[in-house]
Order: sequence, then C-alpha cells, then structure tokens
Amino acid sequence: MAAPSSDSSPAGSSVHDPSASESTAANGPSGDSSSDSPAPLGAVREPQRLHPLTLFVRLLTSLPALALVLLPTLTNDDAQVWLPLFFGAVYGLVALPAIVLQYLRFSYRITPQQIVIQSGVLKRQNRSIPIERVQNVEIERQLLARLLGLAKVRVETAGSASTEASIEYVSVQQAQKIRSSVRAFQRADEDAQSSRDATPSEANATAPNAPTSSPRTLFSMSLRHVLLAGAFRFSLFYLALIFSVLQFVDPETLTNWLLLSQDRIDVIVDAMYQSPVITALGTVVVAALLGWLSGILLTLNRYYGFTLWLDGGKLRKRHGLFTVTEGTIPLAKVQVLIVQTTPLMRLFGWHTLEVQTMGLNTDQQGQRVVAPFAKWETVMRLADHVRPMEMPDTFDRVSPLTIRRHFLRRLGVLLAALAPAAYFWPHDWWAPYDVALPWWSLLVIPALGVAAYLHYHYHRFAIHHDGLYVRRGVLRHYLWMIPINRYQVAYATDSLLQRRLNLKTLFVDTAGASAFAYPDIVDVEADTADDAVDTIYGQFHTLYRAMVSEAKHSASPTTPLDLRQAAAAVPRALPLPNPTDSSRA
Amino acid sequence: MASSSAVSSPDASSAPDGVRRALLPTSRLTALEADLQSVWRIKLCLLHTVVFLTALFFGITQWFSGANGAVILSVLGGLLLLMTLYIVFWPRWRYQAWGYDLHEDELVLEHGVITHVRSVVPLRRIQHLDVSQDLFEREFDLGRLVIHTAGTRSSDVVIPGLPLTTAEQIRDDVKQYILDDPLTEDVL
Repeated sequence: MAAPSSDSSPAGSSVHDPSASESTAANGPSGDSSSDSPAPLGAVREPQRLHPLTLFVRLLTSLPALALVLLPTLTNDDAQVWLPLFFGAVYGLVALPAIVLQYLRFSYRITPQQIVIQSGVLKRQNRSIPIERVQNVEIERQLLARLLGLAKVRVETAGSASTEASIEYVSVQQAQKIRSSVRAFQRADEDAQSSRDATPSEANATAPNAPTSSPRTLFSMSLRHVLLAGAFRFSLFYLALIFSVLQFVDPETLTNWLLLSQDRIDVIVDAMYQSPVITALGTVVVAALLGWLSGILLTLNRYYGFTLWLDGGKLRKRHGLFTVTEGTIPLAKVQVLIVQTTPLMRLFGWHTLEVQTMGLNTDQQGQRVVAPFAKWETVMRLADHVRPMEMPDTFDRVSPLTIRRHFLRRLGVLLAALAPAAYFWPHDWWAPYDVALPWWSLLVIPALGVAAYLHYHYHRFAIHHDGLYVRRGVLRHYLWMIPINRYQVAYATDSLLQRRLNLKTLFVDTAGASAFAYPDIVDVEADTADDAVDTIYGQFHTLYRAMVSEAKHSASPTTPLDLRQAAAAVPRALPLPNPTDSSRA
Repeated sequence: MASSSAVSSPDASSAPDGVRRALLPTSRLTALEADLQSVWRIKLCLLHTVVFLTALFFGITQWFSGANGAVILSVLGGLLLLMTLYIVFWPRWRYQAWGYDLHEDELVLEHGVITHVRSVVPLRRIQHLDVSQDLFEREFDLGRLVIHTAGTRSSDVVIPGLPLTTAEQIRDDVKQYILDDPLTEDVL
C-alpha cells in the first residue's frame, strides 16, 4: 500500500535504483500509518555514501595539521632532510587511509521511522534517531563547501543539547532531499497521530495555519538593512582575535619591516611621544572604529540575505554570506518569546526577536533568532505568527528597595576588586595626581547609582491572562513572553538579606531557558510574590483543567487505541516499571 | 500515612476559580522524617573528620617546625568547636525548613535555611521520577525522591528523607497521574 505512493514521488530527480522503494515497502512493518503520507522521497531509504568530494575537503582541511607537524623542521635550516620526509610519510600512511576508510565506512539512510547513521573505522557506531524526535534539520554551507557544491546536514533532536548527528558532506540537492524526506515522514507521522486521537492536540492549537503547504515569506532583510543592523553591533571580539594572532607573528620579520620603513615610522613615533593624551584618545577612537567595522562585517557575514518563511507549522530561515545556514523552528516547540534590544537600538526603535526552544544548540542557549533587527511593529507581527500573545497594557514594578540592594551589591563587587588592586599597586606605576589608578575607579560609584536606578526602572512584570511578561536589563533590555502552557515550576525565594526587607524573588521556570539571562523577577514584596505564585499556578491549573475536561468530553479516554498509546508512552516517562526494584539498587 | 495514598488536602481541588492557594503556610506542610537529621549528621561527621585530621596533621607539622604550640592548639580547638556546633545545629535548621505536600495536581515544596525557597511543581510537568537511597539512608529506611522536569533551573527537584514506602507511594501516585492524563501533549 505504501509502495505505489513512494514510487510516484518525483523519481526524475532522484538517483536511486528502483529496488530501493521495493525493499522499504517490504520492511516497513507499520506501513498503514504512513500509507496516506504525501509521497515520501525514496531516494534516501537505502544506505547512502557521502559525496565523493568529501574526500577532497577532508584532505584539504587536514593539511594545516600536516603543516603544523612539519613547522619545526621547515623553519629550522639545519634540520635533517629526512625528518620532514619521515613526518610526511607517517602522515601519508596514517591520515590518508583514515580519511578514505572513514569515508567508506560512513553511511546514512532515512526510513519513515528513523534516521540511521553508521560510522566509525575502529569502533563501529550505529546510530538511529527516531523521526519524531528530530527537531531540526539544518543545512550549513561553508565557503569551501559552497565552491564545491556541497552541504553539511545537521540533525538536532529534543532532549540533547548539541547536534545529534552531522552528515558532512553531501550535494546540495541531496541535503535538501534529506530534509524534505524527514519532513514528509514527520508530517505523515503527525497526520497519523492526529487522525488516531480525536482530541485536538496542542500542537495544532498553537499553529493555527499548520495545513498551509506553500511557504510564505514573513520577513527578509535587504543588504542595507543588514548593514544597518551591523552598525548597531559593536564587537571587540575580532579586534582581540587579531591582536592575539599578531602575538604569534615572528617578531624578527616585524622588526625588519619596521627598520625598512624607519623614516616613515619615525614621524609617527615622534608625534606620539609629544602628545600622549592625543595618542591615547586616538587609540581609543581607532579601536572603537575597528570594533564598529568588525561588528558590521560580522553581522554581514552572519545575516546576509536573511529570509524567514512560514512553512506549515514551522518557521524556516536562511541567512549567511560565506556560510549559508538554513534552519527550521517548529512552532509547536517554541517555549518562550524573547525580545531584546540595547539602549542605542531602542533609541531608533530596533529590536531583536528570539524564541526559546528546547534541546537545540547550546551555543545559542536554546534560543533562536527569528528576526535579528526589526522595528517593534514587525517584531510584534512576527511574534503573532510564532505564538499569538497579547501584550499587557500595564506592567507592575518591583519594590524600590531593589535600587538599594542592586547598588550595594555592585559596590561590594567593585570594592572587592579594588581593595587588593590598590594594596598591591606598585608605587612607581601610573598614579595621576599622586593617587594610585585603582582609587580613581571609585569615580564610577555615581554611575553605579544611576545603573541601580535604571535597573529598577526597566525591571517590570505583568501576569496577564495569556502568560507572564517580564522586562529587565539596562545595557541589554529583555522582554520575556511566557505563555501559560509553557510554565514549568514556579518559585518564590527569599535570601537572608531579602527577608530583612520583606522581599522575594519570583521565578517561573521554562524548558530550555538560558543559564545567563532568565526571567526571574527580583525583589517583589513578599506578599505580592506569594500571591503571584498562586495566581501563576492558578492560571496554569485552570487552563489545564479546562483542557482535560474538554478532552474527556470530546472523546472517551478508554478506547483501546488510547490505552495502547498510553502504555507505549510509559517506559519513556517512567523508567522504573517495578515499584520495588529501586530499593534494592 | 504511606499505607493508602500520599495524596492529601482535598480542599485544594475545590478551591474557587483561578487562584489556588498552592503555597500553604509551613505549619500545614508535611515534615520530613526526623531521622534525616541523623543521616545528615553522620555525613557531616565523616566529612568534618577528614577536614579536622588534615588540619591536625598540618598543625603538628607546624609545631615540629617551631611554631607556637598554644596558638596551634587554640586554632584547632576553635575549629573543633565550630564543627561541633555546625553538626549539632545545621541539620536541625535544615530539617525545620523542609516541608512538602502532594496535592491533587501539584507538589508543593519548601526548603532552605539561608535562602528560603518555595516552589510549586505541577505533576503534569514531571518527566520522570527516581527513588534513590544511599548507604546511610538505608540504615534509617529513608528514601530520596528525585523529580525531573524539563525546566532548566529545576531539572531535578530532590525531596530527601522520606520514608521509603512514602517515596515509592508518591512515585506511584504521580506515575498513575501521568498515565491517567487524557491530554497527549508534546511539550518540548
């Protein structure tokens, strides 16, 4: 039953032999669940090799290692000739066969149930990823890969923080085929699921336009827009990188070069000695300019051609100049919406929209950029597509006592850093007006006060009818929008110092929250905080009580199918089937 | 209490719409087993013995290399006194701060001496539960309930010092709750 539909797939574009679809039809045990699937592509069901050019790429990327191995012998004139030859031979005997063997032993295939990847030369690894656990199939194309028409496919799953599997490299068409077949299988799976249980699942409720098949462009950035975004992003990262690389430059060549251009340099050196203040200012300006420029370049490289589509229940995006990244964000997996901005961006009305999901890359802390740089109205329009939420009109403030606490805490940090620095500051080091430099940092104390006030000013929260809204941050403003059905655990905590001021910290945990910036509401009056936790949990409880009673009314929960489904879900949810076995452990 | 069901406080289910008094005053929460203090004290004793022996060894080497014996003795004595006070009082305070209650749809916890934490864990959000028991807890027939949720900050919530049967009862009740849940929701 499944075979004819998979045979009618766009076979003209696929490279496989006809036996592939026959074999899958034979070994597909639960074929009836995927029978009404929209013609999954059969080309990737048989074990596939990587693209042959992978060999070339791997060889090329391993060359720096060879250079590193040979470096001591190459730079040393009196080294014996046989030494580099020996290293080269070892390299040829070990690395080259390793690359070839790795290539030969790597295979992948995608079935309606799972992605199977076999790899490893000395230690064979057979990894299978269930299709329904796949969160995201990302296609990444770095510069070299793009020149050769290759792409890297990264498979990400829920539950694991990092990329679950990476297939590098395949041709671009093959990469797209992998992704579309994973999607087709997932869709078939979801269709089967939703037709099986009559209860309206939440995934459909949160994605109202799930059945639309043609992708719709939601947001895109022109070159001008990207450059503008870069202009707001100040990055000293690459500057630091350049200087750290400069450290490795052979100083002798540098001195030689300086000697050659002696007279030209002399003028500059003289000018520098004559006016140290201008030199210092100039250095700062140049550093700022470089940081500004590198911010623009970084942004350009990252977000060039940023396009966001709505494709069924998923957001798809593609961006990048040298490395083109394509990714998807399933709307049903979005936990929290996060709007970020900096004071400068805010002045001109620019914001960044991110969504928090679970189990994606750790380097993004489970947060995915939906719109890197957009006006408030655009951000709200996009947020409406991702997760319709109604911004509350009024926000509550935290207790003003937070100003004092914030100020004293920062002051404590400053003094703790300053005291040892001032104590150990050598007498002949820089001390303007006979005051050691560390003491001068006390001048920032008023700034700490201002910062504490601004912290209070921007820190607001609202418990709205559709979720919790938290605003916070001085140098980086955050706005978290947490829908009720994404609440996890609600907390009210009070530390020793907070207890004296009758304050509490309020926090609602979410899945995939960042470890650095999370929406805790610090220093609320104790009674307000306790009431807030009750209200927040009450919202959650009311919502789920309504959903449960609806589910009970619309379908009798004791149909045999449901029971089987529930039984299938148990081992994953509760790993201890026997109530007594843990006590003997 | 462990004989029938650990679910308590039926009035929580019949609360008026919306606001539920999930965070009850401490006096109404269930306390842990008092034996837990002994478990904590034994563990602290072991730890502090190691620390004190290290300090003692260091003191003796200092004494042999000519340091003032009285100073060493008083430092060691002070350390011993502080450790004893800590072992006597800290477990008691910690125990007094702890309370939990399993309601119909949620688990309410309260703990912490210096930083006081009150939390509400919706049973619906529990991904899985473990009951574990270490060597000392086994002597007192205590169990520890480890609750895993998907939340980042609270990925595992631990209730120490339950009677083993209670811990297992709670685990089974929550398991039953999840099984009986008519919603098939894909949260993550």
